[in-house]
Formats: sequence, C-alpha cells, structure tokens
Amino acid sequence: MPFELPTRFGTPGLGGCYAPETLLQPLLDLEAAYLSALGDAVFQAELRRELKDFVGRPTPLTPAPRLAQALGLDSLWLKREDLAHTGAHKINNALGQALLARRMGKGEVIAETGAGQHGVATASACARLGLRCTVYMGITDMARQAPNVSRMRFFGAEVVPVESGQGTLKEAVNEALRAWAARCDSAHYILGSALGPHPFPTIVRGFQRVIGEEARAQVLEQSGVLPDLVIACAGGGSNGLGLLLPFLEDPCRLLAVEAGGHGEALGEHAARLFGGEVGVLHGCKTLVLQDAQGWTAETASISAGLDYPALGPELAALALEGRVEVRRASDQEALEGALELCRAEGILPALESSHALAGLRGLAREGVGSVLLGLSGRGDKDLATFQSRLDQSF
Amino acid sequence: MNTTIVPILPFLMSGDPSLEALPDHLAEVASLGIGTVELGVPHSDPIADGPVLQAAAHRAIGRGTTLVKIFDKINTIKNIPDVVLFSYFNPLLRMGAEGLLQHLRESPVKALLVVDLPDSEEPDFEAALREGGYPLVPLLAPTTTGSRVRRLLEARPDPGPGACFARRFAYVVARLGVTGTGGETPLAPVARRVAALQGITGRPLAVGFGLSDPGALEAVRAMGATPVVGSALVQALHEGQGLGTFLRPRIGQ
Repeated sequence: MPFELPTRFGTPGLGGCYAPETLLQPLLDLEAAYLSALGDAVFQAELRRELKDFVGRPTPLTPAPRLAQALGLDSLWLKREDLAHTGAHKINNALGQALLARRMGKGEVIAETGAGQHGVATASACARLGLRCTVYMGITDMARQAPNVSRMRFFGAEVVPVESGQGTLKEAVNEALRAWAARCDSAHYILGSALGPHPFPTIVRGFQRVIGEEARAQVLEQSGVLPDLVIACAGGGSNGLGLLLPFLEDPCRLLAVEAGGHGEALGEHAARLFGGEVGVLHGCKTLVLQDAQGWTAETASISAGLDYPALGPELAALALEGRVEVRRASDQEALEGALELCRAEGILPALESSHALAGLRGLAREGVGSVLLGLSGRGDKDLATFQSRLDQSF
Repeated sequence: MNTTIVPILPFLMSGDPSLEALPDHLAEVASLGIGTVELGVPHSDPIADGPVLQAAAHRAIGRGTTLVKIFDKINTIKNIPDVVLFSYFNPLLRMGAEGLLQHLRESPVKALLVVDLPDSEEPDFEAALREGGYPLVPLLAPTTTGSRVRRLLEARPDPGPGACFARRFAYVVARLGVTGTGGETPLAPVARRVAALQGITGRPLAVGFGLSDPGALEAVRAMGATPVVGSALVQALHEGQGLGTFLRPRIGQ
C-alpha cells in the first residue's frame, strides 16, 4: 500500500488497511492531510490553543491518598480526563480530527459511538468548528446512555439509531463505515478509538498521547519520581495507548484492564487478550473475539465503552509482546471500584474508568507502591446503571 | 472487445433462502445460459454491504451455514456455472490458505472476490491462492484514481483470453456506498468510467452496486460490460419469487 507511515504494529504485524477499495483513496488522503498537519505550525498552534481554552487542558493530576491507603498503596495519582470538556478523554481526538476535517475542506463529519462519549465529544467539536455531524449509535447503547444521546442532539448532531445485531459499538462502527463509503467525497469519518484501517489507529493515538505526556511531566513534578505502575482501562485502546505510550521506555509496569463482563464464556465478556484470536475486523488485523467460522462473537460488559470485540492493533501488539500487561475486571468488580473512589475521594468515575480502578486491587500484594491511573471519564452518564446496580446497597 | 459479453453476473447468498435450495438455484442459473455466478459467504460484519445483504447473511448464519458446508454443497452438483466466491477476509483467514485451497480444488470455484482485502495486505495468502489457480478479482471504485487502476490491474493480472470470465474480469463498483441502497445508480457517470477503463484494459468488466432494473442492466451490456445483480435478486428469493422469474426479464428472455 502506498502509505507513508508504517501501517503495522510490532512483531505480530497487527494493524494494516483491510478496507473496501472505495475507502482506500480517502484513507490515503487522510494520511496525507494528517502528515501535513503534523508539520504545520499554524495547525499545531490552533490545536494547542483549543486544547487549552476549549477542552481545559492540561487536565489535573490528582493525588488520591485515602484510596491509596485503603488499597495498601504508598501513593496513587489520578489523571483526570474526567475533567476534560464533555467529560472524557475522547475530546482530544475528536477535536484534533475535526480540525483535520476542516483542513481537508470536509463540511460533514461522521462518527460512531458506544458509550456516547466519543459521540458527544465529536458533536461538541463539530458545533465549535461549524461542521455538520452525524453519529451512529447502537440502540442498546442509546437506551443505556440516554443522557449522552440528548447531549449530542443539543449540540446539533443527528444521532442515527443502529438496530442490527446487539445494537452496540460494533454495529455502530459497521454503519459509520458504510456511511463514510457513501459520502467520502464530502464527509470525514472521525473514528473514536485506536482501531480501524490505517491511518486511524496512528492518528487517534497521536491525538491521545497528550494524556500520557502531561501525566508523565505532572507526576515527575509532583513526586520527583516515576510511578511503579501505570494503569488504564482498554476498550479499543485510545485512552489506554494515550496514557501508556509515553511511559513505554520508562521502567514502569504498564497495565491495561479489559471488560471481564459477567462470565468466562464467549459472549459473556469483552476480554480480547483472554478470549480473542488474531483476525480482521473493521479494517484492521488484531485480537478479535470470534468463533470458529471467523464471525465476530457477541460481547458483554456493563460498560458500553469497553463492550467491543476487538482490541486496538497497537495495544494488542504491545500486549502480545509482553510490553503491556492486560488484565480483566468483571462488571461487579468495576462497580465496587467505582464505589470505592466515590467514598474515598468524592469522584464519580465512568464505568469504563471503573475497570481500571478495579485493577488496583491486589497490586499492593504484588509489591507495587506507587500507581498512576487514567481516570478516562466521569460517571454522570452512567447514573442510571449505578442507580439500578448500587442503590440496593444503601 | 475480444470476448463475448457475459449477459449477467447474478449474486446468490449461500444459505439464504437455504443451503438446500442452492443446488437448484445454481442449476437454474446454468440452464438460463448464465455461465458464471457470484456466491456469497455470509459474514457477521459485512461492512461493504447494505441492509438487504447483511440481513441475508445473518439469516444464513442463523441457519447454520458455514464455509465448509457451502463447499460440501456445491461440490456435489454436476450442472453448475463457474463460481466466483465472494467473501470477507476473516472467514478465509480463519480457515487458512492451505485449508481453503484443499476445499477449492474439489470445487467449481474459479476465483475469489474478497471485498476487504486490498492487494498488498496479505501477499503470502494471496500468492498461495493465485499459485493454486485461484486469482482474486480486482475491484475498481469511483474513488480509484487512474494510476491506482493500472497498479491494481497489474497486481491482479488478466490471465488472458484463454481463461474463463471468472478468472479474467475486474469488478467495477458503480457508485460510492454499499450494495443495494439508494435506488438505481445513475448510469451516465458509470458509462464514462467503463469507457475509460476499456481504454486501459482489454479484460472483461463487471459492473455492480445499485443495479437491478432490466433497463439499467441492458444499458450496462450496451457499454460492453456485464451487470451484476445482487441485493434485488437475494431479496426476491427471500420473498419467495422464483430465480428464473426474476432473472429471465433481466437477460432479455
């Protein structure tokens, strides 16, 4: 493929560009636009200004001493992406790609969304830049993340319900890819996770690296030393890669936590490293939960944002190479992790981030002293789920 | 044009309306004088297909259709057209090139159309198939630039007039988008593209996406190309219409 950037990740050679021919030229054009924007001081200055004045970056690094103590850790820092505009890390990429869309002269943006955070972020960035926005969202996710559906519509986006299959993120990506194939002459597709055909995984993680770059500088400034371990949740991997990549050459353990759902069998979880095998889904080769026929398996997670059958190719490659450890947390463990943070620190995390919090359990016994955790989003959107699952415990 | 134009390239979804009906459907295609058929392997996530073919694929999966069962079924049929096996890449990757070749050798399949496999993504897999006698069909989209057209046609070359249509043709995607949506495809831009492509290559061209009306199919033939009819046929079969009843008026019979 005549791409300029590497399209594959690591020794397993994951990633690639398994796209229908119609999308090849748009993907080549996108890579060219991204490369030219990277080298354009005016673009970079506008991105930095918008990240500061609109998104509210840098987001704080908050010490969480009471939760650290409860978990037996010496210290715990929270990278507060929940305080970014629209309530999650998703805005970093949505804004960057929306600026890219405008630069390419595209007046319309297409996006998929699972939990709704990427959809809300994209709708917000499009409103700010005056771009039309259409978001594809599974009907199951629309029901469980209803507040985000309203927010997208308030921002002027059209939210298109996707009824096929399980009505979750996988089906939303299918529809968004189809819509882009139909409108690629006038629309840009803002993929929200570090997934899909090249150059999306590279572009998304490029715009999300700011999380880890800030966090690394902040933790050094606050404590003078790097943490023993850096931990993030992983759906597709945009938040995980964004936080972990800047620590890749450091002597820190890196840990990503997947959705363990409510059981071990295929269809009961979204733990790709445990149940997935290398396959091709949505334009890239990566770890995919699939059956013996190569058909994508169903998934389950209390968290819409982690409820996806494939791990992003770069994170999957790092996991297979052993450079990033991958664990899983069950629905119940995630809820308990959320409640612990609420009680100890007065912060309501998103269900996605709650999986990272659940991953803190037991780290002290492994000899871990200091931890930096990516708090990828806030939990307001998940109130209905928290109420139905936790209210009985009060 | 140095080849007689194949009048139509029908697309059937294996396992819909049923795998049991497939032998009769294929025999009927052959008895209509149609020499080549595109046979779909159902996939869970058919990103290049519209709602009709996605629903058909999901129905087929629900009925237990698998790639192995498809081979078992078509390998027993005597009177059968040449088959172009249409698939997404993952079910083929799952079977592996070697296993796939074993099944192909027993089958009436002459070529494969893998809609999400650009020519350079799996060079070893593709080379194994090509060397085994199973070329991959090049796809040319409205977004495919002139220089890319030449490159794609070179990467998946025409074996020449001695070979069958299935192994020779390039698939011209008539418009942006996915299969079977958005009404009839406007034909003037398609005619211009087909004429331009005929200036680049002498190999047969099939034209598909959004074509079902008998007049549109005739217009594609008048361009010197073979029209593909997929979603409309699959939907007609799903609704109980006979294959011959649907196809006859579309080949001027």
